[in-house]
Amino acid sequence: MTGESRINKPGSLCPVLIGTSGYSYTEWVDSDFYPQGTRAPEMLALYARRFPIVELNYTWYQMVRAEAISRMIAKAPASFLFTAKLTRTLTHERDRNWREELQKYREGIRPLQRQLAAILVQLPPDFTWTTANRYYLASLLDGLHGFPLAVEFRHVSWARDSVFAELESRKITMVTVDAPPLPGLFPCLNVVTNPEFFFVRFHGRNKQGWVSGNMQKKFDYCYSDDELHRWNEQYLQKIRAQTGNGFVFFNNHVRAQAPENAQQLQKILQEG
Amino acid sequence: MRDRSIIHLNVTDFAVAVERLQDNSLREKAVIVAPLQAARALVYDMSEEAYGDGVRKGMRLDIAMRRCRKACVLMPEISRYRQAMQAVLGQVCAYTPLVERGEEDGHLFLDVTGTHRLFGPPQDIAWRLRKQVLANLGLDPVWSLASSKLVSKVASRMARPLGECIVGHGEEAEFLAPLSLSLLPGIKPAERRLMQDFNLRSIGELAALSRVQLRVPFQKRADFLHDISRGRDRSLVLPERNGTSRIVCEYHFDTDICERRVLTDTLTPLIHDIGRELRRRGHVGQRIGIRLFYSDGRSVVRQASCRGGSDNDFRLRELALAALNRAWQRRTRIRSCILICDRLLPRSRQQTLFSMQSKKEEQQGRMLAAMDTICHRFGRNAVRLGTS
Repeated sequence: MTGESRINKPGSLCPVLIGTSGYSYTEWVDSDFYPQGTRAPEMLALYARRFPIVELNYTWYQMVRAEAISRMIAKAPASFLFTAKLTRTLTHERDRNWREELQKYREGIRPLQRQLAAILVQLPPDFTWTTANRYYLASLLDGLHGFPLAVEFRHVSWARDSVFAELESRKITMVTVDAPPLPGLFPCLNVVTNPEFFFVRFHGRNKQGWVSGNMQKKFDYCYSDDELHRWNEQYLQKIRAQTGNGFVFFNNHVRAQAPENAQQLQKILQEG
Repeated sequence: MRDRSIIHLNVTDFAVAVERLQDNSLREKAVIVAPLQAARALVYDMSEEAYGDGVRKGMRLDIAMRRCRKACVLMPEISRYRQAMQAVLGQVCAYTPLVERGEEDGHLFLDVTGTHRLFGPPQDIAWRLRKQVLANLGLDPVWSLASSKLVSKVASRMARPLGECIVGHGEEAEFLAPLSLSLLPGIKPAERRLMQDFNLRSIGELAALSRVQLRVPFQKRADFLHDISRGRDRSLVLPERNGTSRIVCEYHFDTDICERRVLTDTLTPLIHDIGRELRRRGHVGQRIGIRLFYSDGRSVVRQASCRGGSDNDFRLRELALAALNRAWQRRTRIRSCILICDRLLPRSRQQTLFSMQSKKEEQQGRMLAAMDTICHRFGRNAVRLGTS
């Protein structure tokens, strides 16, 4: 885990590390976030000059492999932090062999442990609050015991006190999401379930894109300065007062809007 | 040059996967696909369960049956596999025009370089494709993503029978190094034996040798081997095999044949169909390939090509016969043959200053044009070329 975690003194706000969901996007070269001609292997080192943390989303597409993780860590400074998404075979495409997959994940992620800020368990929209799903989630979280965990729900049925209380008792962070206001989606809440760290994901507010099934449309959104200011006042300041650390990620990667918004928010927090 | 993003989709045990779509009861059973009536039938494909029992492609069926006694044996249905392959191709074409397909083997390469603005990151495209093929066709392909066809193919081999593998740009050599040389495509059997003699077991061990060192045993192939051992492969994804960029004609014999004369007689009408199609499109074909399917389940492919291409049936027939000469290797009975004309080029419309054609070729050209007109009006069998 990331350095020491602490509980804030009343009135004080915890430090926040801001980054983006993923860093290896060819279009970020086209959008001038990376210098022209930057090749994929050079991106992490360049990214780490601007941000202190990144959310690894390739770990969702394929099972993490220890050797690949080790090679990646070598490209970033020792103080740089990572959060890693849990592989899709444990969240979106679950099958009866999920325990074997979980074991592979635990082994694959091991080299990252020193620089691992959290594992992100992102659950799909069709993962609703049912008995079977609750049992599954409980078993999954048990299986990930020992790692700092953040759970992102996408379905509104999980927005209930019993869920918050259970996460709180397990010291697991519930991810605060900013997404388009669509029916059925998990709402944006300033509920803190883990005093050690909070975890925020900005997905953009592109309503039409969200339901298009096309990733380029889904995450094509640029937050305005005004929207980020309001979000800070309405949510961020409140959750910062209740936790020891905070991680914020922008997932609106299209046309490098994520790093742009991340830098904007950094500036807002520095000013405030 | 920009880093390329090559996706390799591979429906493992393709023939078995297609058979299982037809018959759900075959799921999770050991299945061998092989021609049953042939005296010395060879295994065309097998399921993972049969593979686990030691059955391999090309193995004699009687040996395979001894190794896997519980296996269910099915006749190969090549046309069905071809249809399924076409259906998979239909699913992937929406993402990129650069798709290279194998024959009926469930292999597809897609070059998605530069499509990120339309469809997002390449790993997301690969994941979506797999989901789409599974949902729409019931086939569950392995997928891999890498910077070249070579590395993506090795990555798929690592992922099979189910799963995925992403090899990051710049990580090719490190990814390949610990793997067995048997996973690296492009090494000839004689070279493989030589590598064993030198006690080279892993790709990394081969990569550790310099070009100069490799030149001693492998001579002209040294540079190639040096490059592939480091995951360097600049070969392009060639979409010419899909749809309109090749012409395919097939013939199934009523009873299996072994006389060469019967086969050459069969080729003539197929050549005429290909020639007519070329002239209709205004193309010339630079290569003719012949694929012979034997009664024991094996097949042989050979090609012959000519510079500049041709749409003249007589010239195309010469090429087909040259390809047949190369393919005529076995004394096993032939069940069907496929004639493939590819490497198509638009026929030049510009007149040359001096006639490049002989008088005979000009006459042939006029005669073929007349035959095309007759066939167009009265049907494809109205007039045919004879052979002597």
